Parts: sequence; structure tokens; C-alpha cells
Amino acid sequence: MAENQPLVLEKFSRIAGSLANPSVAAFKGQGGKVVGYFCAFIPEELFIAAGLLPFRMRGTGSENTERADEYFTSWNCSFPRHCFNQALLGKFDFLDGLVVGSGCDAMRYIYDNWKQSPLKTPFLHLLNSPHVSGKAMAGYYKDELARLKSALEGRFGGKVTDQKLWDAITLCNETRALQQSIYDLRKSPTPPISGSEMVAVMVAGASLPKEEYNADLKALLAELKQRPAAGKYPARLMLVGSCGDDASMCGIVEELGAVVVTDHTCFGGRMKYKGVAQTGGDPLEAIANYQIIERPFCAKMGGAHALRAGAIIAAARDFKVDGIIGQRLGCCDAWGGEFFMLRDELKDAGIPLLVIEKEYISDSEGQLATRVQAFIETVRR
Amino acid sequence: MINVYSQLQMQAQKALGGLCLDPQNASSGPFVLGNGDFFIEIPAAYGCSFSDLTLTGANGTALPNAAELIDKGIEIGVESRMCNAIKVASYYLEAGLVRKPDLIITSNSCCDAMDTLGNLINGYQPWVDVPKFKMDAPHSFDEASYKYMGRQLRQAVAFMEDVFGKKMDWDRLREVCVLSNKQAQLLLEFQELKKAVPCPANPDFSRLGFAYDRWTGERVSPQITEWLEQLVSATEARVKAKQGIEGIDEKVRFLWQDLAGSWPPGLLWGRLQKELGAVCIMDYMSYGTLTPIELSSEEAMFTSFGKRFLLEDPMNRQALHTTDLFCDDILGIVKDFKCDAVVMPAHIAHRDTNSRLKIVRDMCRAKGIPCLVLGIDIWDKRHMTPDVAFDRMKTFFQSTGLI
Repeated sequence: MAENQPLVLEKFSRIAGSLANPSVAAFKGQGGKVVGYFCAFIPEELFIAAGLLPFRMRGTGSENTERADEYFTSWNCSFPRHCFNQALLGKFDFLDGLVVGSGCDAMRYIYDNWKQSPLKTPFLHLLNSPHVSGKAMAGYYKDELARLKSALEGRFGGKVTDQKLWDAITLCNETRALQQSIYDLRKSPTPPISGSEMVAVMVAGASLPKEEYNADLKALLAELKQRPAAGKYPARLMLVGSCGDDASMCGIVEELGAVVVTDHTCFGGRMKYKGVAQTGGDPLEAIANYQIIERPFCAKMGGAHALRAGAIIAAARDFKVDGIIGQRLGCCDAWGGEFFMLRDELKDAGIPLLVIEKEYISDSEGQLATRVQAFIETVRR
Repeated sequence: MINVYSQLQMQAQKALGGLCLDPQNASSGPFVLGNGDFFIEIPAAYGCSFSDLTLTGANGTALPNAAELIDKGIEIGVESRMCNAIKVASYYLEAGLVRKPDLIITSNSCCDAMDTLGNLINGYQPWVDVPKFKMDAPHSFDEASYKYMGRQLRQAVAFMEDVFGKKMDWDRLREVCVLSNKQAQLLLEFQELKKAVPCPANPDFSRLGFAYDRWTGERVSPQITEWLEQLVSATEARVKAKQGIEGIDEKVRFLWQDLAGSWPPGLLWGRLQKELGAVCIMDYMSYGTLTPIELSSEEAMFTSFGKRFLLEDPMNRQALHTTDLFCDDILGIVKDFKCDAVVMPAHIAHRDTNSRLKIVRDMCRAKGIPCLVLGIDIWDKRHMTPDVAFDRMKTFFQSTGLI
């Protein structure tokens, strides 16, 4: 499918394959400030309303965790270790600030370690996010977002007004709707975009100014509608798990002739879920409700398994998948438990599941390919 | 004097010994199950039994067949590097060994693994009809967080009332809190006495006292107050007489900044005391920072419940919050309890500790405090036996000139 690759996809691939990118440099060149953030539940809207460029943190290009291992032992998830290693190597020196969410245990301590390390990022903030979905929790999160808003105003200047927040919500909702439109094209028996390419689309979205990205998405949509059909695949698969900024699993699937048609990952399907309700009133409340009550969240969010499982099964049916590959990063307790529960639910729904425990940067793709190949053989059409 | 200690030890251990089977043995009143500590004063006042499945799993790792239980936990398919206490608890659950509760109250505290166990309990199909309430413990400790937590605990009471059709007896809850405050005061008095050099009583009594007070079927009962009074009284006498632990020539005082491990204390701490004169003055679960529960109004009471839950429960204090607090505690303990060294057992599945070791090491180095990181599995001695830990600690004490 790489043949006839639309130009926009080439751009997205370049951006997803690196950390700093020309658009970030241009934004900074005009005096803009870039703020990195971990993880999906931290609303980009707040940064955009503050006139900042949000940059979703990832460990792209990491080769090892040599430097980070001094801070995190190997009994922690490899995602924060690789990200932090990249930071220690200076790959995130372009950041003017960093917001770390109290998502999972290993991620939370990126904040402490960043603060104690030689890194000199001017603005650091720990955003406390609830681990349970509910109305009271959304209220608490709204207060936490208000604290972050004040901190951003204090550090970067300017007033984050309600109007600016609503404008940012409109912009990000447009992004989600455009991303959804591209996902929808993958429902076709001959999807015009591969899983690997879609990963690049989604990752680029968390690394570019939103106006530029939305324009690119519109261009991509037009190009994809003209793209020649790639033919039918022996198996249509869905990816479920954490992160999802690394296309290696999609690559393995596609090397084996199958295709990934949808996903439920932190950089992918969970990011483009519907949109923040534009009901007027308090925009922070609308954002908090979206993040804590409405969206199908990461497995770190308790009391939301039914919502998550429902969304996964609905997507699997909607996209007519033949099976699901569950990617679980080693030491991820949250997804460990989640897949344990999903196993029976997916079985009841008649959807085959292969759970793979892997590292963020995998050095055993051959082994993974063998397992995926066996899985494809069992689910192929 | 030693006989008083022996009796106290036997009494507490007997009460704690039943914990593995607690869910099955719970007999009086409705049975509430959780994935961690709830807030013991509430079930104690309400007249229901409460069991913490994490603790049940942890106690399972002390059984003679612990290795088999851990392996069964791995075989059922949860995360392979998850805490072994949670694996055992998950196995108990999935094997149908846990009595069906009348109500489930869980929270995300204090770590991802315990949170996951809570999710497994809530998702356990045979209990689909059991009412469930889940609380969110924030990773912060300020007044707003205490109120937030307190409101959730208040909602949990209302939920219990709805489910069981019986109102909370608020006078009884106040009585229980008065007793709880008394016990907290006694625990702190004992802790204060441990600052004496030489340490007057086996330090393990702190942990035993905390566990007895918080976790047994005798929750917040006059019997525990009496136990604590005897402990304080016996220890005061030894401090006055400038007596150390019976039969121990104290040479090194160290902080063990983690849980104690499920092997018998004699295998490591007892041996360190006897053979090296190295006394574990304080550990993660023993460090008491309890403040009195406010009784002036219902709101004040629940806010102080929130504070105790978030900040004064030892595990929540250590695992929910920032490394700044963790480090402040270490420095405070070392200073107040005149510790010569810090041992970081770094239980392999404690993601929090495994993410802050450099900060702790650097801080200790800057302060001139010898610090050893072990990397032990406190629930599974196949990873590192107590004998190996002993040898490493002995080498450490020798190489730093402490013995």
C-alpha cells in the first residue's frame, strides 16, 4: 500500500518517525512555546487556548534505555523509560514545558525524575487525574484543569478565556471528526489506508499545530477517496492496548498479508472518540466530562470497563474484524487486568483475541511475527 | 518483661493468622469486600465485616504452599510481572475461593496492581449481582483532596445504607472514632519510645500493632486498646531502665523503606539483630503519622477520614504521592530515629519505588547516609532468599564501616 502514497501521508510518516519536526520549529521560530504532555487524558484544548503548541510525548527513535535505567528499573513499563531516555539524550530540548498526568504508576514518576534530572525544561506540572469514572471525579478533574490553566497563564502569560477554550474545543472536535472520517474509510472491504499509515496519521496529529493538521487531514481525505483499491485481505484485524504510537505491530500484520482496520489505543481510536459536548456554559466542565465520563479510556480508569469493552466490541463489529490483537506492554498492570477480563467477553462475542506482551521498542519481531501469523491462520476468511 | 512481649506477640499474631481465611470465616453481619483498605472505623461502627483481598493475597504468600499459589496466579494469565500478592489474590478470586460478598467497595489505592485487583473483583462474573461502589483516591494531599476523599467515603456510607436497608448509627461511629483516636495515640507513643538508643523493643511490634489495629477481625475494639497500652507500658519501663532489645547488642540502626516481606521476621531481621546487632528501627508499614479524627461535625469527621485515608495510611502515604514526600519521610525517620543507614528493599513489583531509586540514592549520598538497594521480591523468596539479602546487607554494613 506504500505505492501511490499520497503526499500528505508522506509528511505524516516523516513527522511520526521523528520527534522534533519542521512545523514545531516554525511555531517556535515565530515565538511560540511548545508544551509536551503525557498522556491521552490531558486535554490539548487547554494548551491551544493558552496559545501553546501541545506535543504528545513518545519515545520514537529510541534505541535503548541506557540513561533512563538509572532512574527507572526494568520493573517498570518500557514506554516511560524510552521516553525519558530520549529526554536525557536531549531529544526534547525543544520543549518549553511539560505536563505529566498521574495516569499509571510509572508515568507519574516521570514528573519526579524530570524535576530531579539535569533537564532544564522551564515549566513542569503534575496534573492529577482521577482513576475512576464518575460525576464527582469529573468535578475534581475540572478543578485540577483550572489549576493547570492558572499555572499556564502564570508561566506563559495571557488569559485563557472561556471563549478561547470553546474555540479550541471546536478546533479539536474538528480534528476528531476528520480522523473519524478517515477511520470510516477503513470499513470498506478494500480499505484505502493501511494500519501502519493510520498510526502515522494519528501520531502526526499529536505533533503538529491543529490548524495545519486539520488542513492536511482534509487533503488526505480527498486523496484517499481517489486512491486505487488495494485488494481484499485474508484477515481484517483490530489492535487494542496502551500507547499505540509505534506501527511495528501493524507492520508485522501487513507483512503477513493481513490488514489492521481499526484500533483502540491511546494514540489511535481512543483519541478521536466523538467530541467534547459544545453545550455552552463552563468549557472546563465540558472537557472534564468528556475526559472522565464519556470517552472510552485507558485501562487505568476504573469503573469504566463496561464502557471500554462495549466500545471495543462495537468497533470490532462495525469494522468487520476477524480478530483482535491485544498489545500489552510488560509491567503494565492496568492492561494486564483488562485483557484478563476482555478475554471472556470477547469470547462470548465470538471475536478471537491474541494477547501479546511486548516491550515498547521490540527486539523480538521475529517471534511476534510467528505468533501473529499463527493467529491470522486461525481467523482468516 | 520479655514474657509480656511474648504474650502480646502471640495475641496479635493469632488475630492476624486468621486473615488468609478471613473472607470464608466472616460470619457476623453483612460481608463487604475490598481491594485495599476501606476505612475501618466505618464497617466497625456499621456492624459489618470487611475484608481486603490484597491483604488476603499477601498473607497467602506466607503460607507453606506460597510458591504454588503464586504460580497459579501466573497461570490464570494476569500480567506476568505483577505483584505476587495480587497474583495470589487474583487466583483466590478466580478459583472461587473467596466467599461471595454482600457489597464490594474498592478504590484505586494504592498502586496500579491493587487497582487492577479492584477491577477484577468488580468484573468477576459470578458476582455480577453484588452491589459495587468504587472510590477515587487522588494522588495529592491537600485540603481539597481530603474533602474529595471524605465526600466519597460519606457516599460509601450512604451506599451501604441503601444496600443493607439499615442506617448508620452516628453515635456509634463517634464512639468508634474516639477509640480509634486513642489507639492511634498509643501507636504514636510506642513509636516515640523506639527513638531511644538502644531500641527498647523489637521494632516489629510497630508493624504488628498497626496490622492488629487496622486489619484484624477485632477492628477498633477495646481489646486492641488494652494490647497497645500493655505494649507502651512494658516499653516505657525498658526505656527508663535503658534496656535494649533482650539479648541484642545494638550496633546499627537501619530503616527498611518498604514492606517487611512475608517470610518469618526471624529469617532476616531477627538474624541481622542476633548476628550483627543490626536493628530495623523502622519500616514502610510501621511509620505512623496519624492525626486525630475530627469529631466536631459530620463534614469535619469525613474530611479527616479523607486525610487519614490519603496521607496517614502508610501504604497510601508512600505509594500515592510524590517523591518529595517519600524523601522527606526518609530523612525525618533517619534523623528522629537515629538511623545509621537506609535499606531500599525495592520490592520488584512496586512500580513507585522502582521509579524513584535514583532520587533516594542521590539524596542519601548528599546527606552522607549509607544507602543500599536490594531489589527483592517481598512475597517470593525464590527471587532473592532472606539468606542472600542477609549476606548483601552484611557486606553493605561492613563496607560502610557500620560493623
